[in-house]
Amino acid sequence: MAALVPVVFGITLLVFTLNALALGDPARAAMGQRADPEVLAQLRREYALDRPLPVQYLTWLGRLARADLGQSFREQRPVLDVILERLPATARLALAATLIAVVAGVGMGALAAARAGTALDHIVMGAAVLGISTPVFWLGMMLALLFAVTLGWLPVSGYGNGSLAHLVLPALTLGALHTGTVARMTRSSLLEVIRQDYVGVARAKGLSERVVLFKHALRNALIPVVTVIGIGLADLLVGAPLTETVFAWPGVGRLLVSAVGQRDVPVVMGAVLLFALVYVLGNLIVDLAYLAIDPRTRRGER
Amino acid sequence: MRRAWLLAAVLAAAVATPAIGQSPARPGGTLRAVFSADPPTLDPRDATDLTSSGVIRQIFDALLELDEHLKPVPALARSWTVGADQRLYTFVLRPGVKFHNGREMKAADVKYSFERAARGKRPWVFEKITGARDFIKGTARQITGVRVVDDLTVEVRLDQPFAPFLHLIAYDAASVVPSEEADKPAFASRPVGTGAFRFVSWRRDDQVVVERFADHFRGPAHLDRVVFRIIPAEITRFNEYLAGELEYTDIPTGRCRSVQADPRLKGEVAIWPTLGTHGLRFNVERAPFTDARVRRAVAHAVDPSIIVNRLLEGCVQPARGILPPAVPGYAPGVTRLAFDRDRARALLTEAGFPGGKGLPAVTYHFNTSDANQRIAEVLQAQLRELGIALELRRLDWAAHIKVVDAGGAPLFRQGWIADYPDPENFLTVLFHSRNAGVAGNTSRYRNPTVDRLLEEADTMASGPPRWERYAQAEQIIVDDAAWISLYHYASRALIKPYVKGLERSAQSTAPEFMSPLRKVWLDR
Repeated sequence: MAALVPVVFGITLLVFTLNALALGDPARAAMGQRADPEVLAQLRREYALDRPLPVQYLTWLGRLARADLGQSFREQRPVLDVILERLPATARLALAATLIAVVAGVGMGALAAARAGTALDHIVMGAAVLGISTPVFWLGMMLALLFAVTLGWLPVSGYGNGSLAHLVLPALTLGALHTGTVARMTRSSLLEVIRQDYVGVARAKGLSERVVLFKHALRNALIPVVTVIGIGLADLLVGAPLTETVFAWPGVGRLLVSAVGQRDVPVVMGAVLLFALVYVLGNLIVDLAYLAIDPRTRRGER
Repeated sequence: MRRAWLLAAVLAAAVATPAIGQSPARPGGTLRAVFSADPPTLDPRDATDLTSSGVIRQIFDALLELDEHLKPVPALARSWTVGADQRLYTFVLRPGVKFHNGREMKAADVKYSFERAARGKRPWVFEKITGARDFIKGTARQITGVRVVDDLTVEVRLDQPFAPFLHLIAYDAASVVPSEEADKPAFASRPVGTGAFRFVSWRRDDQVVVERFADHFRGPAHLDRVVFRIIPAEITRFNEYLAGELEYTDIPTGRCRSVQADPRLKGEVAIWPTLGTHGLRFNVERAPFTDARVRRAVAHAVDPSIIVNRLLEGCVQPARGILPPAVPGYAPGVTRLAFDRDRARALLTEAGFPGGKGLPAVTYHFNTSDANQRIAEVLQAQLRELGIALELRRLDWAAHIKVVDAGGAPLFRQGWIADYPDPENFLTVLFHSRNAGVAGNTSRYRNPTVDRLLEEADTMASGPPRWERYAQAEQIIVDDAAWISLYHYASRALIKPYVKGLERSAQSTAPEFMSPLRKVWLDR
């Protein structure tokens, strides 16, 4: 947890600097095409944009220490409110996508490993590579065209007050990328584990192949897979803005994209901070998950 | 102005009378409308974009509104008179108008609203009123030119006559708001007005919902509800429309011809001219464009027909002058510099750059969009014929406008959609020397003759002598090549056949701004 502070500090400083380097002025962007020079100056004072950059950053940090993320330039409301009201949508989408990735990915990987070298293995792994390499935006469009416009089974887009039907297509789209990665890792990890002695012992005891594979081998094979799931959070964060855009999903990813466009610096900083925290905490959870899966990592025995 | 108003009233009455055999409006139902972006605010004081105005127009009323012929007609004001000096406007309010919170609107609310909005993001709406400048700067406690005569009468005095003033009064920045609500910080998220629709909910980046206000002074609207969906991707809006989940939407880029050929969709296509022009501008303070001959050479070298017909599929109007034909006062006689490469070459030689020799590469600035990118490439190819090398610089909107404001762009694109239908909103805003810089004249064009013509016209009563002066100024600007018009905007929409009463006036810009929705009903 102690590592959190320098990471967060470094990321926010980096984002602030990039924002300062990018052309564009939030006060000007808020005024439309016909700006009034006096009002523009007033607005710049109000946003504290007339102060030196280091002062702006330190002010931001000082507020952060009091758990205050400042005011959104664009929405004229606390950044915390702006982010928190979009967070549930993003959390739902990310959790559903992760669930799809874990269930489908581990299933596909185990299936391919059990039938290693066969046509089935090649088909499943081919699908996994396809999932990794298909652009999110295109996949989302195709899924919507097929399941929503042509077949009419699911809604095209939107949050739909949180209905499950609205969640399916965005979660599949966002999960596809990650499913492929998890499937590939599960397969290779399983194949490695199967060659180890204790698996041979289990087989020699006369246990069925299914019990050997799923009860004995899979558990150990999952350790690297869990790492991939943790790292995969980054994929989700990268894919979220695109998925949220194509499915008109009211999440934090889309917020970040539009805030960058408006140079709404407090919102950009807040959203990036949130993403950084999620990523760091995600990796922490992965570390904790090792303890649950692998008893040897408990009580510092390694 | 009075005669124009009478004529407008007659026209409005003629339009309002249903033709024989036409079915009467049916009440009920939900209109599912769409925006491409979340409105930044629902407070009339702070809106600077069409999306925000698209909702604000439904929730609030102003003293006047523009009818489908763009003429000011009564709204919260029942009538008005203009003094002989064309400077004193007296508005008589309708009695018994209620805000959504139940309180009755009074003349004091008008004064409060104007003063509140004058210190907002569109101060130019009020700056013609006597004392407004001092108030905006903070050196006066009130706008002296706005006077509450009694509960139902407001007087507004101008520094000098300004013909489009009634358009400003009809603009959504001049919406009347209740002080007890507008003083709350949440007002921009939970607006309260007098409009035909009342605010219900707003889930950011998802949807804004409004419902019929039963006590509206015109009587209840036809629709029960309007849901404005917020859908950023144009292909997703199109798919939602195909799936029957939206009553109207815009036509995706590059699909204008294909939807017109599609047997399922062609009956639902609506294309109508709007109050906008897409043009190219120079920073006339930067060499080589300080020389009008070089600017004229560029103007003669650009052939907009390829952009209009090939890139934009003929779904916009080719431009002649600067004003779009839908603006009252449009002068068909004003013509752009014709596409003529020989003339362009001769001008370049005259300016000392034969065959483009000695001319440094020119950076063309535009803001990110597929259409703008393709237009830039066409321009690059056309100017290469002349020996002018164009370097393309694509920036997102916030960066683009910053560079243009700072004078860093020698040649750049500019689109302009009128705030109100008057030549002043194009010519004075974009070309008068006092607006040089951020206020609209991004070319930094300064021409005393143009300034004088515009100043005269701005203070004259509307009519042919006024239009004549604008036409003269416009022709000078075009001949000076301070602006090169490419095309005039058109709204391109798909509208379900059962949607009735949706106004396709020149100020309706699909899908953001379809106004007013109180006239809309669903025939199904």
